[in-house]
Amino acid sequence: MGKEKIIPIIAIAILLIGTFSSIYVYATQVNTDTISINGESYTVDDIFSIAEPRSFESLNFSGVALDDLILKTYNDCASCHEYTITGEDGYQKTVTWNDMKNGLLTKDGRAVFSDLPKAFRIRDVVKIEAV
Amino acid sequence: MDKLRLFAGIILFGSIWGFAECIIGQGFDNLGIHSGTIMTGFFAVGLMMMSRVFYKQRGMQLGMGLVAGTLRFFNPFGGCVICSAIAIAAEGAIFELIWYKLSLDLKELKTNPMKLSMGVISAYCCFVGGYIVTQILTPLTSAAGFYFQNLVVFMPQILSRGLLAALIGGVTVPAVLVLRNIDITSIKDKIYYPVTAVVTLLCWTTVIATRILVMGI
Repeated sequence: MGKEKIIPIIAIAILLIGTFSSIYVYATQVNTDTISINGESYTVDDIFSIAEPRSFESLNFSGVALDDLILKTYNDCASCHEYTITGEDGYQKTVTWNDMKNGLLTKDGRAVFSDLPKAFRIRDVVKIEAV
Repeated sequence: MDKLRLFAGIILFGSIWGFAECIIGQGFDNLGIHSGTIMTGFFAVGLMMMSRVFYKQRGMQLGMGLVAGTLRFFNPFGGCVICSAIAIAAEGAIFELIWYKLSLDLKELKTNPMKLSMGVISAYCCFVGGYIVTQILTPLTSAAGFYFQNLVVFMPQILSRGLLAALIGGVTVPAVLVLRNIDITSIKDKIYYPVTAVVTLLCWTTVIATRILVMGI
């Protein structure tokens, strides 16, 4: 088969992949007012009443300390685990306990780490899980 | 083609691309428009295609990606600087791979379906490929490290977001191919080099001056 046939077929396949992925993403979208922390659901107000405040003035972010949040909600050895934080759109990052010590969760549900690249900022957090 | 002329072209087109990513991309973000797909589908693929059409040389787009990625490091605005720089460099390499088997005079691209298809393929692969590469490499630059599972879970989103880039690329490539009769070698040295130098300098000074103004460093 020549390039004249293969190239349009690949393009059509790509458009189909993009379309079906969009349908899948739309169908599996999660909308929730709570954040699941190791299987337990908490509202943002709950979280802000449980954990100690933390702010990164140079980054202009304030919220609650992620390490303290885990310590107050997790009965297991908190420092023995890594943590996967998942956003509403499925974006997730796994960080170490040391990173959690430099992390905060803002009121609008964004996880921010002062010692990690911006790629580790997760919007609309829906789940924090020990791994 | 004269190597110095080609080198000047790489720096010029890479600088325009980097400038677009830093300044225009941020403009889109400020307007609340997700800039990634537009930057890839229109600016990245458009500029790389333009350089392919004008210079008819392999390897040029890889160099452009490195120049644009380097310039992106100087940008004070926007999201993750290192992620964007890695993604831009990766897009240059991916574009180069896609177009490697096509002839330099692009004689295969005579029909509109072929032009459109190459636009779709180039933009989608550059966007998705760049996104994946940066998701792998960025964590490796930090203490957190890369977790394959994090990438797998987010793959549907990446594949979905690439659709808009593909559609934009499907328009961009045929539009750029209208310029295929322009012969860059016919431009005299006394015009070519000063123009490339001035435009390149403008791109870099604007980005660096913006950084100094915004961050004071």
